[in-house]
Amino acid sequence: MSDLDTLPPAPDAAGISLDGTTVFTISAEENAALCRSTGIEPASDGTAHPIYYYVATQVAMGKTVAGVCEACQFDVDDGPMMGSSGVRFDAPLMVGTSYKVTGEILSLIRKRSRKLGVMDVLTYRLRLHLLDGMQVLETDNVWVLPRKEFAA
Amino acid sequence: MSYAVGDTLPPFTIESVSAEAMEQWAIFLADPNPIHLDVEVVKAKGLGDRVINQGPANVAYMMNMLMRAFPGGRIKAMDSRFLDNVYGGDRATVTGTVATIEGNSITCAFTLDVEGRGTVNSGTATIEI
Repeated sequence: MSDLDTLPPAPDAAGISLDGTTVFTISAEENAALCRSTGIEPASDGTAHPIYYYVATQVAMGKTVAGVCEACQFDVDDGPMMGSSGVRFDAPLMVGTSYKVTGEILSLIRKRSRKLGVMDVLTYRLRLHLLDGMQVLETDNVWVLPRKEFAA
Repeated sequence: MSYAVGDTLPPFTIESVSAEAMEQWAIFLADPNPIHLDVEVVKAKGLGDRVINQGPANVAYMMNMLMRAFPGGRIKAMDSRFLDNVYGGDRATVTGTVATIEGNSITCAFTLDVEGRGTVNSGTATIEI
């Protein structure tokens, strides 16, 4: 018997929709500020910094960071941590272009780590689309939700 | 420009990770998590004594290295792992190498390292040139 068998299971969060209801537009001013904050100048060909894959999907998904945590029955004040992030681009992101988000929670899995103790590993997928529906990218993010309430 | 497997890519360095930039990123990300903004909160949570950089900003540094190494290229795919925090004032450097080349598609492996603490992020990416 695993010691995880003595713990309650992770909340059933898989399948919860993260479809957005708002439109995200990459402004030239914000793109320039974002680029400069990371030590580079904005591109001159109209493309936005590719990190907007993360920014746009987070801002325009259907839940806030706190809301995603709440869907996992986790208090955002307990400190969610990024575990990994992956992205596949179908097209470059463009300044002045508007996008919408679809997505869902893929899984929430309870684990025990030597460093963090009991934690839930959240995986969610978001897609960024042009307003006509054409997909421009898909991203999978993994967050670690440390479950302090199960600390030994 | 030609590339070969094993080539070392030019490093990209942030001389001092900026707390002011973290305030900007809190707005970009619509996420006012105080560990990025208030050192007293970081101390109270036992996470250190400096504000903690937003993870996506660290990913952006790695993307910057790739974009400078492959002018005119496009990042088609990227995966990154978060191994440790980057703090305000850290000197952070991205280094990488060419792992595979298939036609106009180049795969790279890279790390983000912080002076004195080692690797804090690692990843792979495919660039279309």
